[in-house]
Amino acid sequence: MATQIITADQTDTLALSHVNVPPAQTWNYLRINDIAFDVPTPHFVGDVYARLPQLFGKLECGIGDEAVSWMEHASGDARYVEVRASEPQTVYVDIDSSKTEVHDTGVLVRAGASATIVTCAHGEQGGTSSSLLRVIAERDARVSIVEIVACGEGQQHLDAIGIEAAEGARIEMRQYALGGAKVALGLCCNLAGASSRFVLDTRYLAVGSDVLDVNHVVRQRGRSTRADIVTTGILADAARKTMRETIDLIHGAKFAEGSEIETVLVTGDDVVNKTLPVILCDEEDVAGNHGASIGAISPEQLDFMRSRGLSEDEAERLFVRAMFDDAVIHANGAETRTAVLNRAETVLGADVARDMAEVLGFDTEEA
Amino acid sequence: MAETTDTTRKKSQVADINRSLYDFKMSEEGYERYADGLSTDIVRAISDKKDEPEWMLELRLKALAAYEEMEMPANWGPSIEMLDLNHISAYVSPKTKQASSWDDVPEDIKNTFERLGIPEAERESLAGVGAQYDSEIVYHNMREEVADQGVIYTTIEDALHDPELEPIVHEYFGTLIPMRDHKFAALHYAVWSGGSFVYVPEGVTLPYPLQSYFRLNAQGAGQFEHTLIIVEPGADLHFIEGCSAPKYYEANLHAGAVELFVKDHAKLRYSTIENWSKNMFNLNTKRATVGADSIMEWVSGSFGSHVSYLYPTTFLQGARSSCEFTGITFAGATQDLDTGCKVILNGPDTTASVDTKSISKDGGINTFRSSIVVGRRADRACATVSCASLMLDDISRSDTIPAMDVRNGSASVGHEATIGRISDDTILYLMSRGCSEGEARTMVVNGFADPVSKELPMEYAIEMNNLIKLEMEGAIG
Repeated sequence: MATQIITADQTDTLALSHVNVPPAQTWNYLRINDIAFDVPTPHFVGDVYARLPQLFGKLECGIGDEAVSWMEHASGDARYVEVRASEPQTVYVDIDSSKTEVHDTGVLVRAGASATIVTCAHGEQGGTSSSLLRVIAERDARVSIVEIVACGEGQQHLDAIGIEAAEGARIEMRQYALGGAKVALGLCCNLAGASSRFVLDTRYLAVGSDVLDVNHVVRQRGRSTRADIVTTGILADAARKTMRETIDLIHGAKFAEGSEIETVLVTGDDVVNKTLPVILCDEEDVAGNHGASIGAISPEQLDFMRSRGLSEDEAERLFVRAMFDDAVIHANGAETRTAVLNRAETVLGADVARDMAEVLGFDTEEA
Repeated sequence: MAETTDTTRKKSQVADINRSLYDFKMSEEGYERYADGLSTDIVRAISDKKDEPEWMLELRLKALAAYEEMEMPANWGPSIEMLDLNHISAYVSPKTKQASSWDDVPEDIKNTFERLGIPEAERESLAGVGAQYDSEIVYHNMREEVADQGVIYTTIEDALHDPELEPIVHEYFGTLIPMRDHKFAALHYAVWSGGSFVYVPEGVTLPYPLQSYFRLNAQGAGQFEHTLIIVEPGADLHFIEGCSAPKYYEANLHAGAVELFVKDHAKLRYSTIENWSKNMFNLNTKRATVGADSIMEWVSGSFGSHVSYLYPTTFLQGARSSCEFTGITFAGATQDLDTGCKVILNGPDTTASVDTKSISKDGGINTFRSSIVVGRRADRACATVSCASLMLDDISRSDTIPAMDVRNGSASVGHEATIGRISDDTILYLMSRGCSEGEARTMVVNGFADPVSKELPMEYAIEMNNLIKLEMEGAIG
C-alpha cells in the first residue's frame, strides 16, 4: 500500500495558517473563519514518488489548498484505485496516527460502479497524521464512504475529502470524529452532474481539551441535485468545536435542494461551541434550508431519566455510548471496529467497550 | 412529476421600490461646504464650528489617526472600492439655525420634510421630532407634556453646551462603540455632526414615539450623525429613525453611530426605515447595552443604499434581559446589502429572538449576516434565529451567514434558515381556493413581509408597504 511515514524531525515545523476556510467568511474577531496548524515539514530529497492522475488535482477538498499541498508533499507517495462497474470494491485507508502516517488516496468510480471506501485514523501516541482522499464518481456511480477519526489525546490529525459526482451519481457518507487532541476535517462535495445526490451523516464527540474543527462544503452545480447533511455531536469538559457547513447553490442548479441540520449536546461547563451554517444562493429555482439546535439535556428529559433511575452523568454516558455503538455498527471491517472499540475503551472504560463488543456481536472478532 | 420548463413557468413580478417620493433635490446654493477629503484641518474646523470641549477635539483627532491606520476586512463583505473619501465632503450645512417651529425653517428645507410627511407625523403621532438636513439638525421639537416629565430630547451639540448634560455626554459618548471597532467607526468619530441626545428619566413611559429623520441632500457628501439614548431604570421609549436621499451619480456616504443604554427594568424599541438612494454607501453602526429585566427591540427595514454594512448589536448584560430583532431587507438592481444583527448574551436567563426576511430581485444581492455569542456567565440563556430569503428572479443573489458561539453548557440556541422562490404548490393551493395567480403571489409576498410591517406603527407600516409596492401580476417569465 502506498503509504509514507513522515520522517521529518518533529521540531522542524511548518505553519498552515488558513486551514478549513469556508467559501463565505464573516467577522474575523469571532475567530471562526479558519484554524491554524503547525505540522512537520516534509523532507524528501532525491526520491521520486507516484502522483495521482491530474484529474484529481482539480478537486476541492474543503480543508484548503495550503493543507492539501502539505498532505501531497508529506505523503510522498499516492495510491490510486479504479473501481469498474463489473467489480464492486471496498477500499480501506488505515492511518496509524502513532506512526504519524500521511495518506494520499484517489478513487475513480467508473460509470455505474459501486464502491465502499473506509478511512480510519487511530492511535494513542503524539504526533501529526493525515489523510487526503479524493473521489470521482462517474455517471450513476454509487459510493459509500465511512470516515472514522479515533485518535488519542496527544494526537493531531488532518483529514480531507474531495468528491466530484457526475450525473445521477449518489454519494452516501458517514463521518465519525471520536477523538484527537486537535483534529481538522475538511470536506467538499461537488455535485456537478444533474440529479446527483450527497447524503452526509456526521457524528462527533469531543472531550477533555480536544479541538475539533470541521468544514463541510457542498457545491450544487447540476440541476435537480440534492444534498442532505445531518450532524449530531456531543461536547464535554473543555472541548472546543468549530463546525462550518456551506451549501452553495450555484447559478444554473435549477430545482436543486440543500438541507443541513445540526444538533449539539453540550455537557461541559467550559465547552466552546462555534457553528457557521451558511447557505449561498445564486439561483432562483432552488430550496436551501438550515436548522441548528444547541443545548444541554433539558430538565424534562433529565426528570424522565431520573424516574428511570439514571443520573445526569449516566444519561450523558449513554449518549456517548450510543455514538460509539453507531460507529462500530457502521465501521466496515474488523480493524476499523477495533479502532473504534479501543477509543471507546479510553473514553468509557474497558467494561463498557467489552460490553459493546459483546452486545453487537463483535467480541470474538480479531482485527 | 416533470420539471416545469423555463419558458412556460409563470413568474412573479414585483415592482421595484417607488423612490419618487424621496428622489427630489434642492439647490445647495449658499450652503457651507468643506473641501472634499479628510485632514486634520477639516476635523479641527468641524470641532471649532461646534465650539466643542477639548476632550471631544482630542477624541476626533485620535479617531482620525485610527481611521488612517485601519483597513477594511479583505475576506468578507461587499466591495466599497467605488467609495473614494477624497471625493466626499465630510461637512455640508445649510445656512440656517436650528428651529423649534417649522415656520422658522427655510422654505426649501421645510418643503423637503413636508414632502416626506414629517410635520404631519409629528402632529398626529409623535412625542418629538428631530430633522437633520445634511450635516446639521435644522429642526428639533418635543411636546411640552413630555418635556415636563423630565425627558430630554436635543442634539448632541446642544447637550455638549449644557453644563448639566455635558458630563452625561462625556460619560457615555463613544463607550459602547469603540473608535477602533472598525474603520468607518473611526471615521465617524473623527467627523461626526448632528444626531440626537435622548434621556428618559427613571420610571417615565413616553406615550408616543420620538423620531429623528435624516435627509442627505448634498451631492458627494457624507452624513455622520451620532445618536445617544439613555433609558433610565423602569423607563420606556420608542424611538423611530428614518432616512432618505435623492439619487446622484456619484457616491454619498452615511457612517452614523447609534449608542443605546437601556438600564434595569427598562424598555427601548428602536425602529428604522432606511431608504437611502442607490448611490449611498451605508456603513452605519448601532449598538445597545441592556440591563437586568430589560427589553431591547429592533425593528429594521432596509430598502435603499448601493452598499450596506448594517448589523445592530445588542449586549444583554443584565440578568433576564431580552432582545428582539425583526428586520426586512429589499435588494433591487445595483444593490448589495449586507445586513443582519449581533447579539451577545452575557447575563443569566437572557433571551434573544431574531426574525429576518429578505427579498432579492433585478440582480440585487442580499446577505444576511449574524452572530449569536453566549458568554460563560449566561446560564440558561436562550436564543433563536430565523431568516427567510425570497428570490424573485435568477439574476439575483441571496446568502445567509449566521455564526453562533456558545460557551455555556446550560444555554439553548436554535437557528433556522430558508432560501427559495415562491413555491408552486402554495400558488396552486391558493388558486384552488379561488384566488387568481396574481392574487396568490401578492398574498404570499405580502405575508412574507407582514411580520415586519405589523411591528411598525401604522403610518410607517403603510410607508413600508408603499416602499415595496408589491405589484404582483402573472406574466410569462
